[in-house]
Amino acid sequence: MIPYAGFLYFGLVAYVAVPGLVLGVLRARGARWWTAAATAIMLSIQYNVWLRTGPHPQTWVREVWLLVGYAIVQWLVAAALLETLKELDRPSPTATWLAVTLALAPLVVAKFEPLFNPKYPWGFLGVSYLTFRSLDTIIGINDRLITKMPPVQYLAYLLFFPTISSGPIDRYRRFSQDWERRRTRAEVLTDVDGAVHRIFTGFLYKFILAYLIKRYWMDPVAGRYYGLLADVSYMYAYSLYLFFDFAGYSAFAIGVGYLFGIHTPENFDRPFLARNIRDFWNRWHISLSWWFRDHVYMRFVMAATRRRWFKSKYTASYLGFVLSMGLMGVWHGVAAHFILYGLYHASLIIGFDFLSRWNKARPKPLWGEGPLWRAAGTFLTFQAVCFGLLLFSGRLG
Amino acid sequence: MSSGESSEPGVPGAPGGPGEFTTGRVLSILAEIAETDQVRKDLDLDLYGLEILDSLATVQLMVALSQEFGIDISPAEFERELWATPRKIVAFMEGRVGP
Repeated sequence: MIPYAGFLYFGLVAYVAVPGLVLGVLRARGARWWTAAATAIMLSIQYNVWLRTGPHPQTWVREVWLLVGYAIVQWLVAAALLETLKELDRPSPTATWLAVTLALAPLVVAKFEPLFNPKYPWGFLGVSYLTFRSLDTIIGINDRLITKMPPVQYLAYLLFFPTISSGPIDRYRRFSQDWERRRTRAEVLTDVDGAVHRIFTGFLYKFILAYLIKRYWMDPVAGRYYGLLADVSYMYAYSLYLFFDFAGYSAFAIGVGYLFGIHTPENFDRPFLARNIRDFWNRWHISLSWWFRDHVYMRFVMAATRRRWFKSKYTASYLGFVLSMGLMGVWHGVAAHFILYGLYHASLIIGFDFLSRWNKARPKPLWGEGPLWRAAGTFLTFQAVCFGLLLFSGRLG
Repeated sequence: MSSGESSEPGVPGAPGGPGEFTTGRVLSILAEIAETDQVRKDLDLDLYGLEILDSLATVQLMVALSQEFGIDISPAEFERELWATPRKIVAFMEGRVGP
């Protein structure tokens, strides 16, 4: 069953959410256990699909067992790293890299195996998002920010059903703060308010706006017309559709999380009003771009600064952008247009940084801060972003 | 680091002296990396909203602070909320190394 796609799914959510809310209002100790149980119930229904993983009749497997096996392995890897580092009492790059490799392996198999064996793909819905969460704990353990990892709490974080298929990507330490807190009655009610508000936003975005754009604009253009004008029209249609569909989905996921007292981070903040490309990445798929900022870009630039890899700090920064945006592209898929999308955004960010530094260094800057300049910035950013999404859509390939 | 400056009102610990406090040391490093003395004058300056700091400057700040105080600061500790103003950065560092 595809999450947030039909009334059956929302009905099931209501069934598992209500007992949680009752326990929450009663301030019962069992509220957290119910969150874990609700996740187990929802996933066993959602992933109750037979997958064919090979040509022989015996190679059918239930998707839910792939998920369970994956989660156990990820917990073992993280727990082993935690224990190893505790024993050693000093950093061990070998242990950390081994853990990172093991955590990445299922995603790499799921992304590359279909290239060799397209008829029988491995992997399950959400494996790429789970990988981000798993890696976040490994990095936290490596930095000694995560010092304990109770199995139920870890699995609830990794598999939290509202966000399992497409995020937003939570962080283990942030999730744990919500998980360990017992909500007051007033907080439970505020959470319900936040949940209802988001779920209605989700309906408006995904089932009304995204649906209308797709049905009456995007699909007709995609099916019938070719040439430059059609491509431009498709570019705007696809960009708006993708935003309303994904922001709507994110609103659902965050809203349902609120019902359980888990405040998953927001994913969108009016991205098409961004004043420049950097601003855009603080507003679009925020949980993904901040994950790359913290765990790839900043880590790379920090290593480069400490070890003096480059003469100029900007060289380190620009290579950091190419690395993190390139990985972001590949993560979407191994097709050429995804990689191109990542490199396109890396070059936009680098180009913008270069231009704005050049502008600032001039005795009299070419462009300033006034409302007209701001409007021009927003307009240009919107065009650049939409062109990126056209690349992303694969239509030009 | 410059010495002999008088401390701003409300900012304990003049920078530069041998017995200076965390506040002064953090603020002079911040001023150097942000390339503006405003961060000393207004402790509630919105560092990211006003684009005084970006990700690159944040990393340099982390490296400079960890070298100055001889501690490890992990990029995973970075949260805009926690690093949003000079006052918050000082509080973060005081939490790590004391006043």
